[in-house]
Amino acid sequence: MQASDEELVALVVATQDNNAFGELVRRHQGLIRGMMARMSRNRALAEDLAQDAFIRAFQKIGSFSGTGSFKSWLCKIAYNEFLMAARKRKATDKAMEKFRGEVDDTEMPRDMGNVVDLDRALATLKDDERTAVVLCYSCGMSHSEAAEATGMPLGTVKSHVNRGREKLKAFFETAEAVA
Amino acid sequence: MTMNDAFDERLRAAFQAAQPGEDQADAFVKKVKAKMSSPMKKRVVILGGAGSTGSAIAGTQLESIFNAVQLPTEGWMASIATFASPEVMATSVLALMIGGFAFILPKRI
Repeated sequence: MQASDEELVALVVATQDNNAFGELVRRHQGLIRGMMARMSRNRALAEDLAQDAFIRAFQKIGSFSGTGSFKSWLCKIAYNEFLMAARKRKATDKAMEKFRGEVDDTEMPRDMGNVVDLDRALATLKDDERTAVVLCYSCGMSHSEAAEATGMPLGTVKSHVNRGREKLKAFFETAEAVA
Repeated sequence: MTMNDAFDERLRAAFQAAQPGEDQADAFVKKVKAKMSSPMKKRVVILGGAGSTGSAIAGTQLESIFNAVQLPTEGWMASIATFASPEVMATSVLALMIGGFAFILPKRI
């Protein structure tokens, strides 16, 4: 039988077992890399941020209380890593401008409804809206978990998610209509 | 929670499909594991260097301290004092300190 995330975490905490942590990385790498790619909109940067997020998770694994899911805890760490990387570029706004200017078009478009690229749709959202949408739809966080992870009030997260969702829906509908 | 209508399902599926595939998982895990070990190496080198320097400086002072101590002793303490010169005692303390660093450094604090 496959060990649960929580059992692997307990093993890592007790024995610093790199292989057990490697299994956690294997299970959640797609989620964190995808999340970073959607947030930063730059594939190379997203890879580095995802690696740093897992390193940070390894260093802080003793602080995982087990009250929520490991996945949510990991997404919260990844989000903080993303924010820290943005702050390192002096100011978050300037960093977001930089990310905005570095949309990675080398990937093949991944269509939603065979029409448009998800990344291009997300590019139409404001930063906070994109963050809230990515945390809730990509990481599967609840609104309260996303509020806790981002430090935004719960009501604000709900508004961002709803507004972002409506914008995405409008974007896809328009794109499908044009196609 | 999100709304869970048809569009929500499509959106979740789109995010799921946009995630990197399992085929790249092994390479990614390798990179993370490689990064996991390097900060520890750096930490060992920095702390080990600082600790050894401190031990060496302290060790040079120990000999004079042991030289200055003139305690009237009896029994096994007196036997040790007979066979152990200040240099030997200083070297022993230094060896203990270095041994302590070697024991503590590989552990995560």
